[in-house]
Order: sequence, then C-alpha cells, then structure tokens
Amino acid sequence: MEEMIKLTGLRKSFGKNEILKDISFTLEKGRVLSIIGPSGSGKSTTLRIITQLERADDGTLEIAGRTLFSSIDGKAVYARPQEEREIGLKTGLVFQAFNLFPHFTVLRNITEAQRAVLRRSREEAEDKAIALLRKMGLEDKAREYPFQLSGGQQQRVSIARALALDPEVLFFDEPTSALDPELTREILRVIRELAEEKMTMVVVTHEMHFARLISDHAIFMDKGVIVEEGSPDELFGNPKEERTRKFIASFED
Amino acid sequence: MQGLLLQMAEGTVVSMRIFVLTLLFSLPLGFVVAKGKMTRIKPIRWITDLYIQIMRGTPLILQLIFVYFAPFYIFGASYDRFTACIVAFVINYSAYFAEIYRSGLQSIDKGQHEAAKVLGFTRAYTFFHIILPQVIKRILPALGNEVITLVKDTALAQTIGVAELFRVAQTASSREFSTVPIFIAGIFYFVMNYIVSRLFAAGERKLGYYR
Repeated sequence: MEEMIKLTGLRKSFGKNEILKDISFTLEKGRVLSIIGPSGSGKSTTLRIITQLERADDGTLEIAGRTLFSSIDGKAVYARPQEEREIGLKTGLVFQAFNLFPHFTVLRNITEAQRAVLRRSREEAEDKAIALLRKMGLEDKAREYPFQLSGGQQQRVSIARALALDPEVLFFDEPTSALDPELTREILRVIRELAEEKMTMVVVTHEMHFARLISDHAIFMDKGVIVEEGSPDELFGNPKEERTRKFIASFED
Repeated sequence: MQGLLLQMAEGTVVSMRIFVLTLLFSLPLGFVVAKGKMTRIKPIRWITDLYIQIMRGTPLILQLIFVYFAPFYIFGASYDRFTACIVAFVINYSAYFAEIYRSGLQSIDKGQHEAAKVLGFTRAYTFFHIILPQVIKRILPALGNEVITLVKDTALAQTIGVAELFRVAQTASSREFSTVPIFIAGIFYFVMNYIVSRLFAAGERKLGYYR
C-alpha cells in the first residue's frame, strides 16, 4: 500500500510549553484517519504543522513520497521554499471557522485559487467549481456571498474550495465544532461520501460515533503524545488505556 | 463682489492643491508607517511609534511653523512656503492614516491569512486580493472622517503665509470691514466637504454588498 503521510518524531513547543512530544503515524492512500483527544492535546497543532501553518521543531514528514522536513541533529530541516509550496498544494485543510473569503461570491471562493495558483482557465475553474457545488448540493448558491449562507452551507463551500485544487490528502480541523447538531449532519454526510470515494483524509473531531463510522484508523492524543491508536472498533469499543476510556466515556450521554 | 469671488476662487484652488497633494503622498506613506509600527524589528517599531506620538501629540500649526522655519535656523537656508506646507501636512496625515490602516489590518481575522496560505496564494496575492479589499471596507468610515478634517485643516497653511482660501477671506474681511468674506469661505468649505462625504458614502455603498 502506498503511504500518503509518514510522520516520525514530531516535536513542537510554543515558548517553554511543549505541545507535541514525539508524534509519529503513517496513513496509507485512500484511508481515513481520525484523531480524537481533549482540547490542548495537540491535535490541531499536528494538522497545522502538516499543512504548513506552523513550523515543526523536530521530526520527519513525508507527504506523497516527498519530504517536507526531516530531522537532522534534533532539528526539523525544511525543504526548499519551492518544494514546500509544491508539497503544500498536495494538502488541503478545512477549518473549524470555515474562513471563506467574505468579499467573493461562493463561485469565486472556489475558483480564485484554481485561477491564481494552478493557472487554470476561467472556464475550467468554473466548471470544476459548479461540479463541486452540485456535489455539495449547493449549485443554486454560486452567485451568493458567504454571509447569505448557513454555517453548514458555508462549511460545504469551504470543503469544495479545498477540493477544487485536487489535493491528495484533505485535513479537517474540527469541521463541525462551530455548527448546530442539525447542520453537523450535512457536513458528516459530505465527509462520508468523500471517504467512500477513497479520498485520503485526516479528521480531527469530537464526533465519536462519526469517527468510528468513517475512519480506518483512529488515534487518541493527550498532552502532546499519542496515548493509543488502532482500528476504530478497538479504540472506541475496547480502549486499552485508562485515559482513552475516560475520554470516550465523557462523550457518552 | 465679483473681484472678491474671483480672489476666493483662487484661494480655493490653493486649498484644493494642498488637499490633493497631501492625500497623494500621505495615503501611501501612511501604509509604510503602519507597516513600521507592526514590524517585529523593535528599533523600527520604536522609531515609528515615537514619530506617530509626536505627530498626534503636537498641534499641526506648530508642525507647520517648525517645518518651515527649522531648516532656516539649522542650515541657514529657506525654501518655498508651499513646499513646506505640503511636507508638514504629509508627515502629519501619514501618522493618522497609519493608525487607521493598522486598526484595519489588525481587525482582519487571522483565519483569512491562514485560508489563503493553505490554498497556495503568494503573500502579495493574499494582500492585494484577499486582505486589502476587506481592510478598505472596514476603514472607509474612519478614513472619511480624516479626509474631511484635512479639508478644514488646509486653513492652517496661512500660518506660514500660504494664500489659501481662509487667508484670502480674512484679508478681504479686514479690507472691507465685513464678515461676509469669512461667511462665504464657510460655504466653500462646506460644499467641498459635502462632496467629500458624498463620495465616501458612495464608496461605502459600493462595498456594502458583503458583510
């Protein structure tokens, strides 16, 4: 099986505060990984380092066979800026807060990077955007502005915006945490469809049932370390570690 | 009466030249100052901060006098009063615009920068296409206030002998023992500012299509 992500020995501190202590995992192409854990456990920081919003202190990361950074003498040494950019285009990130561009229409939110970054023609970019909007059930919203949409619709647009660049792996950073339960379902349905299409994905979430349902592999993080990992059935159904058990129990009402 | 109006029209042209030239230089320069105030390089930040403090903390009328007379006392050289007047207005207004820009730039959610970065936009593209349009929308009301103040502040140029509208009005007023020229000047300023505020209102309406 082809490896999409190979992360070893990732470390990160903010000042004296060590956020990530030796994080390692691999993810194969076409698989879905979910990462769960209490807030402050380092889940988001891990995603933010892989998607290049933060810099690693130490560790090695390969994405689709290309090295973003590698550990040399206890320090993460990054690839050349051009290489960084190219690797960055292989990863997409969906934010908790959507972060759509408010001054662009829904359509332009999805076409802008295709045109400016991938140099696609207007026609090609718009065709792609319309197809994605249709897939998201939002084809009638192309000419509207983000403020005219519900949170769930905005999040679906942001997923379309990320998919428009044809990333090889898509990351979700608590994609439903800003949404009502009703709207959460719309997003979960979209992610599940993507999983069925064999999109490689990493999902940081608090939706335990959902994580168990869609993922091939699950990781429980706490205080900057991976406490436990395994198949979703193992991790959610029969956790070995006390900390994992307590955390999962806290979500069952 | 016709002679008076002609004189006042000439004064108005001088006032408008001060107004336009000040904006032409201080609007972009204010941006450089804002960047200086926001940089991580401490000495540059300190110097920029001191500059802004001085410009905002002392009267513009005093700055005008200083800019015009200081070179004479220091170097023994004097220069054109109109040039001095533009220099003084530009350095003063750049400081105010800088603070408006800074407030606008800092009000943009960092998620906008992050989304742009993740999508692969270059820094320049992100600034000009994603951030700046949103900043302009937010700072337009504050900018409008400042520009209206500038129209009225041009009257201070007379301090160093620039024959702008208010100077002309005052001279005419004392010559004719009448307050009518002053009153007419008031109408001139009001009309100019009415146009300025209409323009800003139109700008705000134009950017009102999104939230």
